[in-house]
Amino acid sequence: MSMDKPQTGAISRRLLLAGTAVLAATPRVFAAAATKTLRLATGEADGVKGTLDPAFGNNDNDAARASLVFERLVVPDPGFAPQPQLALTWTPDATGQIWTFALRPGVAFQDGTPFTASDVVYTYRRLVDPKLGSPAAAILSQVDPDGIRAVDDHTVEFKLRSPSVEFPLLIANRFTYVVKAGQTSEQLRTAGIGTGPFKVDHFVPGEEPSVYARNEHYWQPGKPKVDRVELRGIAEDSSRVAALLANQVDIVLELPVRSLQRLEGNKDVTIQSARTNAWFGLAAFSDVPPFDDVRVRQALKLVVNRDQYLKAVVGGHGTVANDTPVAPWQNYGLPDAPKPPDIAGAKKLLADAGHPNGIDIELYTSAADSGLLEVAALFQAQAAPAGIRVTINKAPAADYWSNIWLKKPFVVTSWNARAADEALALPFLSTGEWNETHWRNKEFDGLIFEARRTLDDAKRSALYQQAQHLLQQDGGAIILLYADTVGASRANVRGYRIHPQKINHDFSDVSIDD
Amino acid sequence: MSRPLARLVGARLLLSLLSLFAVSVIVFAVMEALPGDTAQRILGRDATAQSLAVLRAQLHLERPAVERYGEWLGGVLHGDFGTSLVARRPVLPYIAAHLGNSLLLAGIALVLHIPLAVGLGLLGAATRRDGPIDTAISAAALLGMSLPEFVVGIVLISILATTLGWFPPLALLDEAHSVGAVISTLFLPVLTLNFAMTAYVLRQTRNAMFDVLRSDYVRMATLRGLPRGHVLLHHALPNALAPAINAIALNAGWLVGGVVVVEVVFNYPGLGRLLVESISFHDVPMIQASALVLSASYITINLAADMATVLLTPKLRVN
Repeated sequence: MSMDKPQTGAISRRLLLAGTAVLAATPRVFAAAATKTLRLATGEADGVKGTLDPAFGNNDNDAARASLVFERLVVPDPGFAPQPQLALTWTPDATGQIWTFALRPGVAFQDGTPFTASDVVYTYRRLVDPKLGSPAAAILSQVDPDGIRAVDDHTVEFKLRSPSVEFPLLIANRFTYVVKAGQTSEQLRTAGIGTGPFKVDHFVPGEEPSVYARNEHYWQPGKPKVDRVELRGIAEDSSRVAALLANQVDIVLELPVRSLQRLEGNKDVTIQSARTNAWFGLAAFSDVPPFDDVRVRQALKLVVNRDQYLKAVVGGHGTVANDTPVAPWQNYGLPDAPKPPDIAGAKKLLADAGHPNGIDIELYTSAADSGLLEVAALFQAQAAPAGIRVTINKAPAADYWSNIWLKKPFVVTSWNARAADEALALPFLSTGEWNETHWRNKEFDGLIFEARRTLDDAKRSALYQQAQHLLQQDGGAIILLYADTVGASRANVRGYRIHPQKINHDFSDVSIDD
Repeated sequence: MSRPLARLVGARLLLSLLSLFAVSVIVFAVMEALPGDTAQRILGRDATAQSLAVLRAQLHLERPAVERYGEWLGGVLHGDFGTSLVARRPVLPYIAAHLGNSLLLAGIALVLHIPLAVGLGLLGAATRRDGPIDTAISAAALLGMSLPEFVVGIVLISILATTLGWFPPLALLDEAHSVGAVISTLFLPVLTLNFAMTAYVLRQTRNAMFDVLRSDYVRMATLRGLPRGHVLLHHALPNALAPAINAIALNAGWLVGGVVVVEVVFNYPGLGRLLVESISFHDVPMIQASALVLSASYITINLAADMATVLLTPKLRVN
């Protein structure tokens, strides 16, 4: 490594120039006044991490970007029923193991290339390729890369490793946006080409706003209805609300529930909310004392007063949950009302389990997501009368999901909204990558697998419900409440519908009145 | 430049190179000691064994720390500050853009800060010590300093932006296309920063002024019948400025890299926020470059302050 002076000098001069250029910040000339720009704000700042590559999207900004530029074969509607997008129809074989998707004809990518089955094959093989390292591979574990094939230009066939009646919903997730065949990961990070209503105009990770322009090749006539979209992440809740009120943004994709009162009755702003099965709860390792005794796990579920969490965590904007991740109104949901707290019953269970003087447990929580701290504080207070002495350990937010969750035996947790099968499978199957309760129940696994291959609706429903009953009685998760998702727009914004799954957006129909 | 001043600058520059090297070693060591790695921070909750392994291999995280530091240092000596592990792009343009934003905000904040704080200190000193005006000024400044910046920022937003609509709540520099618009965009953060900064400089100025005003030469000037204003500004102030200059330098250093809270409240892409976000991602090349730039600006500001003190203070100039 030589230290040649001229080079060092050149670099420092370049640095100086770059600095001065930024300082000078020359005004940008703007497009014609007729240009309609939609300004979006999420509630998350992602620094320089942002990506457009659907295989690696992992926050709200990534989700919004993907939904502007790309589309999926199937999308979940607000009730989590599969709806066609790039696929027109789908049919299983007699066993539910081979699925055939008929693709929408006449669709083009943003560069004019026609969309065909080879793009779908490329997208899905890429997602499940172990060399790519996308988290989607864990969700799509039923998909065999060699079983994905283009039957003709507009027909794709998936031969699964095992039958799955819920397969169309499984592939309606946040990773499965169809990319153009041949695009590399480097290209997809910032310059992905999709079939979505907007194409990337300017996106550098860490530079705000990212800018998207109307896709002239879009297949839906008359859409999109605006010319440009700008996306920012505004992490500070009150600043985001203030920006909406001051007309610095048109839509905020996430609204803090405690600001709702301030916004309600404001004629410039329209609030939208949707009930979801995004849940808050506690996760205990069911293979670590004292939680390895099912009576202790049942005692933890008996001490909680679920109504109080609803008020403390989401200000009443949600529904109480009953130790299952499937909400009562969802397909396969259980109708039973939550049990009231039973302190005496909990004490008896603990005594039976050999803890007549109660137990001492350590609960990890963090400010990583809003609401986690409140859950811990309330649980500590509610558990005390039953002799469950909880020590709260508050972990750093940046570290929580990577080094505490899945590693410590008792944590506060939360999950995004999902369709029933995925909501049950991801955290609770024995083999799950994100099995946060270490609950490995062969009977539960068997019920889920059997449900997946049961074509009869009533029988399948009974199996999914039986699996949930088992989870409630034996599992290590205390699922306390489902949180509504809340967003807002300026009153002159039309055509925006908030989706219960906060990663799902459709901006193609959004327009702005003058 | 006079000889003692040149010697001061030369010695300081040599020392500052050593300091920068030490900073880079300490920062690197601290990041190594922190739990977690970049791959975990990037993937967050989505991490699977497979995805972690792939990303770690892509980012070369498995190599020994000494080797990674050596390679980084070698690059820096050639003017190459490396590639962000998270953005996967060169670090330097990010540092340049964020430093530029920070310097712009700091510059405008100082333009208001220096006359405001020194002026109020003078005003306090010009009136009766602990009299109503002096007390009122000190109390107001101390209150402004005691409130956390996010409280001041949010209160200012709710009054001046949301209720009155005079200024935009978010400091979106990309939407400010004229000098006037830049000033209006940065007004609320600048005001917030001045709430936090004023008290210290004001108290330093005021106390030094009271000391100097009691000195013999000032009494002499007063007894000679010079006007009160002339005595304050031309005789007392120059010899009372040294502590104020040091306090201003401290604030200037803070403005460049320490105003993360204000940057978050006003959604402003400054160097402080870049550093904090990079730390939470374990993005070592970005952290190293930010830390070096921040240390260099602290060193420069302090050197400038010492030079200004020597040049402005008559007593030091004579010696």
